[in-house]
Amino acid sequence: MNGIIEALGGIWNIRDAFAEGALVTIQLFVLTMIFAIPAALPVALGSNCKIPPVRWLCKAYIWIFRGTPLMLQLFFFYYFVFPFIFHAPQVSALTIAVITFSLNYGAYLAEIYRGGIESIHKGQYEAAYSLGLGKTTTMFGVIIPQTVKRVLPSVSNEMITLVKDTALVSCISLSDLFRVVTKQVSARSNPLLYVAPAIFYLIFTFLLTLLTRFLEKKFSVTGEKGSEKK
Amino acid sequence: MTETVLEIKDLIKDFNGVRALNGVSLSVEKGQTVAIIGPSGSGKSTLLRCINALERATAGSITVHGRTLVSSNEQNQAVYASEKEIRTIRSDTGMIFQHFNLFPHMTCLKNVCYAPVKLKKQSKKNAAQAAEKLLETVGLSDKKNAYPEQLSGGQKQRVAIARGLAMNPTVMLFDEPTSALDPEITGEVINVMKTLAKEHRTMLVVTHEMAFAREAADRVIFMDQGKIIEEGTPEELFQNPKSDRVKEFLKAML
Repeated sequence: MNGIIEALGGIWNIRDAFAEGALVTIQLFVLTMIFAIPAALPVALGSNCKIPPVRWLCKAYIWIFRGTPLMLQLFFFYYFVFPFIFHAPQVSALTIAVITFSLNYGAYLAEIYRGGIESIHKGQYEAAYSLGLGKTTTMFGVIIPQTVKRVLPSVSNEMITLVKDTALVSCISLSDLFRVVTKQVSARSNPLLYVAPAIFYLIFTFLLTLLTRFLEKKFSVTGEKGSEKK
Repeated sequence: MTETVLEIKDLIKDFNGVRALNGVSLSVEKGQTVAIIGPSGSGKSTLLRCINALERATAGSITVHGRTLVSSNEQNQAVYASEKEIRTIRSDTGMIFQHFNLFPHMTCLKNVCYAPVKLKKQSKKNAAQAAEKLLETVGLSDKKNAYPEQLSGGQKQRVAIARGLAMNPTVMLFDEPTSALDPEITGEVINVMKTLAKEHRTMLVVTHEMAFAREAADRVIFMDQGKIIEEGTPEELFQNPKSDRVKEFLKAML
């Protein structure tokens, strides 16, 4: 028992490394969110586009990034795309991770958005068109604002997955929280150090859950959760 | 002097080989209220939706207030106006739907003034003032800040009517406006429509409410199988129908 307490006490000794790793994890998460959430919208619209090449391109992108493992994509961008295609071996692992994660999550989010847009009743389009509104105004003024509320739970789910997926970047030797702690675990032969990142990830995802709840309330017109009737 | 504001000639509409409209011709004069009655599937709603370009006709022509929405070429195929012209014609024909189709994320007031702000480039303040007046017309001034989900069906439809009026259209099209409502509350919507009829709004009303057709319409049109079978004043059509089909229909309805 004393041994366990002592081992847990070791967490305090790795606080500096822990903070550095946590910062990388948070950076990766925030930047991916900032890029993926808006970038997925044109892809969602494009995958329903009437122009076939645009539609095919969007669908191919979604297919590739949803259909292969994220870890494989990380390796591919880190060891091949950046050094050999872009001739940019100097680009940092963090940048490559953010780009790969954004592309990967963008594909998932695009499909969520597309589903959300398609779930809006066609009567909403008809009402807008019958007033003389154009396609763009209808989409951005009438359809998408209604979609936001519907996709929020799914988007929040993706964001929670993203928090945990950040641990994958240790495979391209980016010193995120997981990699940093893993190093300390082997250096100090103390596997109980993993309790610290576990608590960190739990708090992180809990805060996201709170944020989702707040946003769901905000986007529900009467301030009640799930009060919207069809 | 009367002015023709809606002119439809030989309108044909096919849905995957099924003929929904089979040569409908109709002209409506300014200020007239025209009720369109007939059995389900007779093409009444399709006719209305063609006028608003929500359905594209297969052949024939439609002219709204001097603007040609669609006309037939030499091969008798429908040729439509440009998208821009279609939008202009749409804003000149207010459409009321069976299921209201209000925008759920906007307040009643915003539902009404959204199109004028976007299309007429009215200032928000002016548009809101005009919208408040329209909500007053339909008796819902006190609901201006409510959201559609907080309203009853009858109230929703009245807001939808105010929204339809907001662009000040030449013709108002009502597609079974009371069919989704409890019989008890159809009255409040019918009353608003009667008021509009009295104000000599040009209205085309597809309805199963025979009482409305009888009391408020200037003309009644009976449709069946994609054709106009008979038309006339309410007295003519309800008291002395000429065709057996109309007699049969009225006997079942009344």
